[in-house]
Amino acid sequence: MEKELQSLATEAKDFLQNLKDKAEAEEFRIRFLGRKGHFTSIMRSLGNVAAEDRPRLGQMANQVKAEVEKLFEQKKIEIEQSFGKDKKLSTPDLTLPGRCPAGGRLHPVTQVMQETCAIFESLGFSVAEGPDVEQDYYNFEALNIPAHHPARDMHDTFYVSDSILLRTHTSPMQARIMEAQDPPLRVIAPGKVYRCDSDITHTPMFHQVEGFLVDKDISFADLKGVLTVFTRKMFDRDLALRFRPSFFPFTEPSAEVDIACVMCNGAGCRVCKKTGWLEILGSGMIDPEVFKMVGYDPEVYSGFAFGLGIERIAMLKYGIDDIRLFYENDQRFLSQF
Amino acid sequence: MKFTLSWLKNYVETGNLTPDELAEHLTMLGLEVDSVTHLYEELADLQTGLVVSTEKHPNADKLTVCQVQIGAETHQIVCGAPNVREGLAVVVALPGTILPGNFKISKSKIRGVGSGGMICSERELGLSTAHDGIMELPEGTEHGQAFTEAVKLADICIEVDLTPNRPDCTSVIGIGREVAAVTGSALKIPVTNQEISSVSDKFDVQIDSPELCLRYAGKLIKGVTIAPSPWWLRKCLLSVGLRPINNVVDITNFVMLEYGQPLHAFDFDNLAGGKIVVRTPSEEEKTFTTLDEAERKLDSDMLMICDAEKPVAVAGVMGGLNSEVSDKSTNILLESACFNAVSVRKTARSLNISTDASYRFERGVDPEGTINALNRAARLICELGGGEIVDEGIDRYPGKKELLVLPLSVTRTNTLLGLDLSIDKTCRMLESIELACTKKDEDILLVTVPSFRVDLEREADLVEEIARLYGYNNIPVTLPAVTLSYPDQDQARVKRLEIARKLTTIGYSEAINYSFTAAKHIDSLGITAEDERHCFVKLLNPLSEDQAVMRTTLLPGLLENVKRNINFQKPAIRLFELGKVFFPNGDNVQPVESTRLAGILSGNRYGESSPLYFKHKSVDIFDAKGTVEFIFREMGMALSTEADDIYFQVPDSGNEEPYAEPGYSLEIRTSDIKLGFLIKMKNDVLRSFSIKNEVYFFDLDFDAICNLQTETKQFSSLPVYPSVKRDIALVVPDSVSAGQLLDEVRTSRDKLIEYAEIFDIFKGDKIPDGCKSVALTITYRSQSKTLTEKNVEKSHAKIVHMLTNKFGGSFRHA
Repeated sequence: MEKELQSLATEAKDFLQNLKDKAEAEEFRIRFLGRKGHFTSIMRSLGNVAAEDRPRLGQMANQVKAEVEKLFEQKKIEIEQSFGKDKKLSTPDLTLPGRCPAGGRLHPVTQVMQETCAIFESLGFSVAEGPDVEQDYYNFEALNIPAHHPARDMHDTFYVSDSILLRTHTSPMQARIMEAQDPPLRVIAPGKVYRCDSDITHTPMFHQVEGFLVDKDISFADLKGVLTVFTRKMFDRDLALRFRPSFFPFTEPSAEVDIACVMCNGAGCRVCKKTGWLEILGSGMIDPEVFKMVGYDPEVYSGFAFGLGIERIAMLKYGIDDIRLFYENDQRFLSQF
Repeated sequence: MKFTLSWLKNYVETGNLTPDELAEHLTMLGLEVDSVTHLYEELADLQTGLVVSTEKHPNADKLTVCQVQIGAETHQIVCGAPNVREGLAVVVALPGTILPGNFKISKSKIRGVGSGGMICSERELGLSTAHDGIMELPEGTEHGQAFTEAVKLADICIEVDLTPNRPDCTSVIGIGREVAAVTGSALKIPVTNQEISSVSDKFDVQIDSPELCLRYAGKLIKGVTIAPSPWWLRKCLLSVGLRPINNVVDITNFVMLEYGQPLHAFDFDNLAGGKIVVRTPSEEEKTFTTLDEAERKLDSDMLMICDAEKPVAVAGVMGGLNSEVSDKSTNILLESACFNAVSVRKTARSLNISTDASYRFERGVDPEGTINALNRAARLICELGGGEIVDEGIDRYPGKKELLVLPLSVTRTNTLLGLDLSIDKTCRMLESIELACTKKDEDILLVTVPSFRVDLEREADLVEEIARLYGYNNIPVTLPAVTLSYPDQDQARVKRLEIARKLTTIGYSEAINYSFTAAKHIDSLGITAEDERHCFVKLLNPLSEDQAVMRTTLLPGLLENVKRNINFQKPAIRLFELGKVFFPNGDNVQPVESTRLAGILSGNRYGESSPLYFKHKSVDIFDAKGTVEFIFREMGMALSTEADDIYFQVPDSGNEEPYAEPGYSLEIRTSDIKLGFLIKMKNDVLRSFSIKNEVYFFDLDFDAICNLQTETKQFSSLPVYPSVKRDIALVVPDSVSAGQLLDEVRTSRDKLIEYAEIFDIFKGDKIPDGCKSVALTITYRSQSKTLTEKNVEKSHAKIVHMLTNKFGGSFRHA
C-alpha cells in the first residue's frame, strides 16, 4: 500500500512535469483526481488494510493527494499564464461591442410627467386622475367661468354636445376633488387636455398637471415657495424665477410664472423671443367663488392652485423645437430620452 | 391692444423710461407686452425731395420728366402720377432703396429717358391703399431729409396681450393710467365729463330693451364734409394697424382707441323718422345686411339699433349698410352707448363676427365714459369735417348705478399675500390707480371702485390690485406650514407606470397618440357596425375628419406609428401604448372611458441590439404571445391552462378580430371575461394603412387586468435533493399540439415530475409526412431523497408509454 502510494505520487509528478496544455491537464485530473481516478481507488482500498494501519495510511494517502493537488493547481496557473503570453492572437478583440439586448424608452411626456408628480409627491401631494371627456360644469362653471364669459375665448374647446366637452385643462379636478373632500388638501392631477389649435407650437392634445393646496392661512408667498421648489428641482439648477400678474377666473390674485431662459440663461435668444424669460406655468390663489361653489368657507380656508404644461417643460428641458414630434412616435425621437 | 409711444405721451409722462423698461413695467403690472416694434424702419432709406421743374415726356403722354432736388443734388426722375407738379414736396426712393414688398429701385430708362429713382405713392410706401397719385408732403417740407423723420413717422409700437379682465386697458388712456401709477405723474385726459341733456327737438332716442342697453347717447352734427383725414390722424391709425377710411370713420376709431369707448356714426338722412330705437328684432325682421355687405340672420334676442322703421345696426357689433356714412353724407348722428356685455358676446358669437367694438363691449365698457368719448369725437368731427353740432344731444341712461364701495381688510390682505403692509401704505397704493379709500377703522378700508374698473367686484379683486402694485416679485418666498399626511397612492396609476417601465426592459418604447381618430380607420380595420368599437363619441367641431371621433381602439394610432417608422428606415418596431378609449354612454352624458394596453411589433426581433450577437430574425406571433405572458407574470398573475385562472384560448371561428390573419389569433380570458387578444395583422388591412411589412398586435383591457386578484408572494423552501432531467422526442401527427403534450405530462399523477418543457420541434427527412418530432425535457425530483437512475427510469418509461399511447406517436431517442 505504501509503495503503491509512492509510485502513484511519482507517476503523478512526472505526468505533471510534462503537462503542456488544458486538454492534458483535464486528462490528468480524470486519471488521478477524478471520481474514478487512482487516488479515489486507493482511498477505497483503505477499507481492505489492517485496522491498525488504517489511520496512518489514510493520513499518508491524504497528504500525498493534497501535495499532488497543490502541484496540479500550480501547473494549471502556469498553463493559463503561458497561454496568454504565447498566443496573443486568440485573446478576444475587446473593441467589439458588449452584448446586451437593446431596451426601449418611456415616452418623454411620461418621463417628465412622472418627474413632476414625484417632486410634488415628495412634498406630500397626492395624485388623482379624472375623465378626459368632461362636463361643461366642471371645466368652466365650477371654475367661475360662466357661459358667455370672455375667458372662454382663452380655451378653444372641442365639444361633444352642449354640456359635454373635452377638458381644456386639468383644473376640473380642483372642483371635483374639493366637492368630494374637505380641507386640508394637497393634490396634483396629471392628464391629457385638448384644445382645437394645431401648429408648430400647439397640438390639439397635450398634457397638463394641475395642483392645488387648501388649508388655513395659506398665502401667495407659500405659492411662490412651492413653485420655486418645483422649478429648481425640475430644471436641476438655481434658475431665476419671475411671477407676473395674469388672469384666470378661478384664481385671484393670478400669476404666470416665468423662468430665466434655459437656452440663453436670460441673455435673450430666439427661444425666449429676446426677453430672457420663458413662461412655464399659470397659478394663483384659489378664487373665493370657487370655494363657495364647493361649500368651503373662504373666510376660513385659503389655498393656491397651479397648472403646468408637460410638453412645454419637456421642450425646454431637452431643447425640443417642434411640439408635433411628441405625437409622431418616431423611434429616432423616442430613443433620445 | 396696440399703441405707439408718441400717442401714449399725449396723456402721461414716461419720464426717463426706455421703451423696453416701459414694456417691462407694463408686463409686471399684468399688461403683458407681446412686442415692442420700431415702426417704419423699412422706410429709413427714403428721402424727401422737391420737384423743381417738370416737362412732358417726349415719347409718352401720361409721363412727366421731373428734376427733383434732394439736398445738394438734383435727380432726373420719370413719374406717371397726375398730381406731380413744380414746387411739390415728395418722397423719393433713390436707386438701391428697397421698398415694402422687397421691391428694389434701380436706375432705368423709361421710353428712352433716363430715370434715377422713383417718386412714391402712399401705397408704394405701405401707408395706405391710395394710388391715384404720389404722396404729397406738407408745403415747406425741407428736401434732403430722411422721410420718416421729416413727417415724424418713426415711432415705437407696443402691443399688449390683454387678459379679459382688463377692458379699461383697451384704450391708450387706460394704459396711461397704469403708467401714471408707475411713474407717479398725472394723467391728462383731453375731454372730461360734461353733462348733456335728454331732450332734443331734432332727433329722439328710445330704449325698448333697457336690460340690454345701459346707456345710449347721441349727437347730431350737420353740414359735415366727408374727406380723407389729415396726416396726423391717418398716421395714428396706420401705426396701430388700422386702415384710414374717411375723417368721420377715422375719428370714431381714433376716439375708441383713445377712450376705449366704441362709437358709431350714422348717416342721419338715412334714418327714418329721425329716431333711434334700441330694441330686439320683430318677427318679420329675419335678416340684416351689415356694412361689410354680408346678409346676417337675426335671432329674436339680438339687440338692434333701429330707426323708426327698421334695424340700422347690430348693437355693439357692426353698423348696417343702409345707414353707413358715405362720401355724400353731410348730416351725421354719432352714437356712444353702453350695451350689456353678455348680449353683445352672444350676438357676435352667433353672427360669427368679432370687431374692435364687440371686443370691448364683451369685456365691459365704462358706462360713465360714454359722454366723454361722444364729446371728444363730436368736437373732432367739427374740427376736421367742418360741421356744426346742432344741440347738446340726447343721453338715455336707464342702467345708471351707484359706484361700488368695497370693504378691504388690511389684515386679510396681509395674510393672503404673506405681507405686512400698513393701512396707510395700502391706501396710497390703491389711490395711485384712482381707487378712492376711506378708513372705516384701523383694519378696514372702504374702497370706491371707479366705473371703468368693471373687474373689481370683491375684496379678493382688491387684494390682487395690492399684490400687483406691490410687485409680485417683492412678495416673500415661503413654504406652507401644513400638517403631515400620508396619502394613498392611486394604484391604477402606479401599476401603469410599473408595467410601462418593465416593457421598456424587453425592448418596447412607449407611444402616445391622439385620443381622437378618423372613423374611416375603424372601417379600414373591417370593424362592423355591430361592434361596440364602431360606435363613437363624436366631436361637434373637429379640426379635421382625421380627428373627428374619440378612439375606440389604440390600433389606428399605432399603425400610423408603424408606417412612419418604416418610412424613416426604422422598420424594427416594438411600441406599446397605455391609453384611454371612449364609448358613448347616452346623450349629454360623459362617455365610458377605459384604459387599454396595446402593443405592436414588426421587423427584426432584436431591433437596435448588436447584429454581431443578435442575428436578424423577424418577429412572429410568439413574440407577441411572449410579451403578453411577460405582462401578466410581471403584474403578479400566472397564465395557466386551468379554466378558472387566466388562460389563452384560440377564439371560435368567426370570433377573431376582423383584421386578424386566420389562424393567428389568441384570446386571453379568465372564466367568462375576455381580457384581450393577440394577433397577426391581415396583409390587406395593412395595405390600407400603406404598410407592406408583417405586423403583430396585442390589445389588453388594462382596467380589467388591474381588477384581477394578484398572487401574493409566498416563499417555498428550496429543494434539498438534486433533480434529474430526461429528454424525450416523440413523432406525433401534426394535429397534436405541443400544449396537449405538455398538459398531459404536467397533469400526470407522477409526483416525481417537477417540470416539463418543449425544446425542439422538427419536421424533415426522417419524419414521415403529416408528422412532426416534438422534443421535451422532463425534470424529475423527489422531496425526500436523491433520485436513483432506477427511480427516474421507471417514471420516465411510464410517461413515454402514456404519451405514445395517447397521441399515437412513436418514440425517438433524442
